[in-house]
Amino acid sequence: MGDVNASWRIVMVGGILAAMLGLLGLKLWTLQVTGVAEYQAKAENNQIRLVNTPAPRGDVYDRNGELLAGTRPSLAVVVDMALVTDDSVDLLATNLAAFLDEPATSLLDTFATANSGAQLILAMDLPEERALILMEHREDFPGVAVIPQPVREYPGGDLAAHVLGYIGRPSAEDLERPDVKGNDVVGKAGVERFYDDVLRGTEGIVKYRVDADRTVLSKAGEQTPRPGSNLYLTIDADVQAQVQDSLKEGLELARRLEMEERGDGLERQDAESRMALAREEAIADIREAAARAAQAAEDEEAAPGSEAAALVALESLPKPEELEEGDVLGALYDGLPLDANGVCVPVQRITLDVGQRSELSGVVGRSIRVVNVTEGRADERSLVLVVDGERFVVGEGDPFATTLRVVSLEPDRIVLTHSDKFCPVRAVSVVQDPRDGSILAMASYPTYDPTAFVSGLTSEEWQRLGTANAFTNFAVQGLYAPASTFKVVAYMLAIEEGIYPLDRPIGDRVLGDEQPTEDVEFGGEQPPVDTLSPLVGDTDLYHCTGSLRFEFNDGSSQVYRDWKRGGHGQLDLHGALQASCDLYFWEIALRIWNERADDAGINNENLWQEWARSFGFGEASGVDLPFEKQGLIPDRTWFRDEQRAGTGRVRSSGPWVGGDLMNAVVGQGTVLVTPLQLANGFSTMVNGGTLWKPRVVDRITDQNGTEIRLTDQDGTVIGGDPVALGRVEMASSTVTAFRSDLQQVVNGPLGTARRAFETFGEGVGSVGGKTGTAEIIKSDDPAREVDTAWFVGVAPVFNPEFVVSVVVERGGSGGKVAAPIARQILQHLVGGRDAVTPLEAGAEAD
Amino acid sequence: MSVFDQPSPPITLLQRERPMRPDLALVGSYIALSILGLLMVYTASISRLEEAGISPTRDLERQGAFVVAGFIAFALMSAFDVRYLQRWVPAIYVGSLFALLLVLTPLGSRVRGVQRWIDIGPLQFQPAELAKVAVILAIAALLAVAARPIRWVSVARAVLVVAVPVVLIFLQPDLGTMLAFGVIAMVILFVAGSSWRQMAALIIAGAVGAVALFQVGAIKEYQISRLTAFLDAGSADINAQYNLQQSEIAIGTGGFLGKGLFNGTQTNLGFVPEQSSDFIFTAVGEQLGFLGATIVLVLFAVLLWRVLSASLNARDRFGQLVAVGAAALITFHVFVNVGMTVGVMPITGLPLPFMSAGGTAFVAMSIALGMAHSVWLRRSPVPGERAVD
Repeated sequence: MGDVNASWRIVMVGGILAAMLGLLGLKLWTLQVTGVAEYQAKAENNQIRLVNTPAPRGDVYDRNGELLAGTRPSLAVVVDMALVTDDSVDLLATNLAAFLDEPATSLLDTFATANSGAQLILAMDLPEERALILMEHREDFPGVAVIPQPVREYPGGDLAAHVLGYIGRPSAEDLERPDVKGNDVVGKAGVERFYDDVLRGTEGIVKYRVDADRTVLSKAGEQTPRPGSNLYLTIDADVQAQVQDSLKEGLELARRLEMEERGDGLERQDAESRMALAREEAIADIREAAARAAQAAEDEEAAPGSEAAALVALESLPKPEELEEGDVLGALYDGLPLDANGVCVPVQRITLDVGQRSELSGVVGRSIRVVNVTEGRADERSLVLVVDGERFVVGEGDPFATTLRVVSLEPDRIVLTHSDKFCPVRAVSVVQDPRDGSILAMASYPTYDPTAFVSGLTSEEWQRLGTANAFTNFAVQGLYAPASTFKVVAYMLAIEEGIYPLDRPIGDRVLGDEQPTEDVEFGGEQPPVDTLSPLVGDTDLYHCTGSLRFEFNDGSSQVYRDWKRGGHGQLDLHGALQASCDLYFWEIALRIWNERADDAGINNENLWQEWARSFGFGEASGVDLPFEKQGLIPDRTWFRDEQRAGTGRVRSSGPWVGGDLMNAVVGQGTVLVTPLQLANGFSTMVNGGTLWKPRVVDRITDQNGTEIRLTDQDGTVIGGDPVALGRVEMASSTVTAFRSDLQQVVNGPLGTARRAFETFGEGVGSVGGKTGTAEIIKSDDPAREVDTAWFVGVAPVFNPEFVVSVVVERGGSGGKVAAPIARQILQHLVGGRDAVTPLEAGAEAD
Repeated sequence: MSVFDQPSPPITLLQRERPMRPDLALVGSYIALSILGLLMVYTASISRLEEAGISPTRDLERQGAFVVAGFIAFALMSAFDVRYLQRWVPAIYVGSLFALLLVLTPLGSRVRGVQRWIDIGPLQFQPAELAKVAVILAIAALLAVAARPIRWVSVARAVLVVAVPVVLIFLQPDLGTMLAFGVIAMVILFVAGSSWRQMAALIIAGAVGAVALFQVGAIKEYQISRLTAFLDAGSADINAQYNLQQSEIAIGTGGFLGKGLFNGTQTNLGFVPEQSSDFIFTAVGEQLGFLGATIVLVLFAVLLWRVLSASLNARDRFGQLVAVGAAALITFHVFVNVGMTVGVMPITGLPLPFMSAGGTAFVAMSIALGMAHSVWLRRSPVPGERAVD
């Protein structure tokens, strides 16, 4: 029988089965034709494993080819997190913990927080035989590889540390740069940072073809790493070493001097000498102290006779106006608050109960004991306490023993702060070649060894170095009031613009005695006020009386006193620079202020600022180092802007006045420079007017030794060839006069640095310089309250090849501390290392 | 003694008058798929063998031997009138059950947790593959003589015939093969003339049975997750998911024209598991692309067409049912196997007919195809005349 039903069913079965095949065809179409790109991408990830091979970082050499920063090979234990599975992680942690001698739990934490694709470096500098153990027991260490990892080394230790900088893991900011990945090592400071792109080279990539088990089957391709380029610095390692030694010794000298000063104070601690000290220095303070001492004497039976004598002597003391800001009040005990590393300790707050005893920090262990608190007249409390066996009677708010200040005094308790703003904290120096702007040496002390960043710092080290700001390159990042060294700007301006002081102080209200010095002759009668006329030449004599009362257009008047109380007598511009006479330069400021008014009557006193800026002050020099500060040349606009913004850097009310300009002209007030700017400004002056862009990199070579030239976005050359940023037009006679005055500062009878250079030896006649001492400025910003000692030296002064700037923070007097440091450096530069003589204090001079 | 000398049924005379010409489309597709399968087995195994330091042609040679054995089996079955088999069906069926039991004894070898093979000297033998042919024969024989319309008792008998080997296979376990048995039985029952109600009842019974097995925990969890991995890209069964992904990647990267022979990175680097057996189709997809994969499907479609054609023109009811059983067997395997590699079907162990490495499967499929070919060769003398019995 023709089974139509069966046939139909067979056809139906066929249709269904054919439809199934058709469905497969459709699915294949979506996979292979429309989805091919997606799957190709997936396949690529599947089969290719990329392993980065680090590029050796470029070397850094000094100008003579001495290696300052290099790279040595090392073996690292690296875990590829992509190969660590949940099953294997415990085994791996246990085995690695035993191998690396680390707790397994911390390894597990590390693994848990790592990205799944991360390659973690667990240990560096693995000895080869240990590496072999790892490689032979691969199965016990799934995902672990021993990879050659170049390690940065700095053979000179801390030599030129601040110029070189250091390296480390990239910060979030670094990661925004192209080509920087989380695993990279990047420069964090110095040339390591500035030239990071050049030094870093290009990482190599090895493409491995892997199978399903991620076993490497073959190398699918390799891009060999391109090593970083090498830098040849303008730094001279010899000079650099000398500079660092001198700074270190200089800072020690400054501290020794400070301690001697306090030792002197200590000797005067019996009642009579305390009176004598009070007479000279701290009248008001001692009056109170003596009163309390007397009070205390009643209770304590301690030397009642001498305390009584103190009270008697007090009556005959001069008026307290003579007390100066910044005077050391009661330099009462020996020793600086230095910690074991020689770092001045920050403010320490101590609370003591009566009868209690506490140790104070410092090199020399000192203790303080509170004896009792006495109630005096008018509810005034005073306290008797003993510091290292020395007995003090103090009231609330009293500073005493230099480092101690009473914050609050209660019947049974005292709160003190222990600090020392007179503790010299830092010394910084820059040596520049004024002929092309290249930097021969640059150092900031305290310093650090950049190698520490390679192996990792302990938190203790980090804290210690951090407290001392040891990582900061203060040569370009430190802002200081340049003090008298800045008089050179007004000096140039005076000659070039023909602006000299009036022939004697305005107002003719002269304070202090008027005895002429031996060197200059006193010139006759004082003319009446209305006949005062400006000096017209740099050899016209000005009579410096030591204090200046001046009037402004707005009718106000003020008295300014020279650092040398008695005045310098009669001197011309050259004498004024050599002796660092403040009055002479203040008069120049006053003339600018009073005579440079425009038609609308608004003072157009920016002449001085323009001159200062032409020497590179007030803006970043463009040196090839990171984080450079630009400094500050204050003017009316800046003052007004600061006032409006309420930054606290200027008075909260009142206009920019002549006194501000006077302060600025002598490098005080709000003027701020970096040690590099000061060296560069002096270079411009002594080289005849070319403002060079300072640079620390002389040339850059790739691995084949071919020189590379770098330019920034504007096409300006970076590193390498000298770049002139500007030119200051000055008569050659001006430059010659300036050089000879600098020479006289060191060699002449008026010279403020004469004593510091007494031991210079042969060739001292070819050396010049300028001292500076910035005084502590009362400010809300404690960082500004810095007593800064300066010296800028030049050699050979008539054909300058070296300019040396030295600053000692809280270093006291420039002539006394900074000049001897510069002297050593100049000795080395002129006569080599053998010519260097030991450091000795110079004369106390501005 | 030649098979042609066997005693023949009366109609043989008519056939003798017309020379038996092989179905060239069927034979051609069969040979083409086998040769292509050999090539694919070679490309899929070469790098793995090289890596292991074994002769790279080892798998090719072994599969070549199977292909030859399969060809011989095909030729024998083609020459042999399937009607003579009818009387041997009980023996064949019992024999295959016996072989399935053997697998479960210590004689069976256990690979990756499942026991599917019997080692006979150097040869491994998968009774389940041959059982598929035996079951086709058994149901066809049963239903060929059953009263029409098919009564429930016939359905029950057919189910029983299938159920015994399915239970044995379940103990191996091999879910894919169990499914294949079910589908084959359904197709044969359908063509044999079961009512829609009977079909529906079977489907429901199958579904309920599967759920019941799962509920009592007889189906292991890994089997479920493997089966459902293709439905859920975020499946917990990472291995199943991984297999599926790698397989899809292999096929997907093939593109339209493929990467060319020996250029299949997925294939050659071992990303795809069971590359030369269960996942042989990925080697086709990756190396020969959409074009090659489609050609393979078209070749199977040709086989389907020719086998159903044989069924349509079968001289007797038994031949008709055997042929449709063979069509269902081959095509269902193609669908499940290829469907698994492209992610539309669960991952099971069903081989791709004539292409996957493996001797028993190749020979079994060849026998099934050979039987269908035999049916075609001895078809109804008048074109278009339907099978009678």
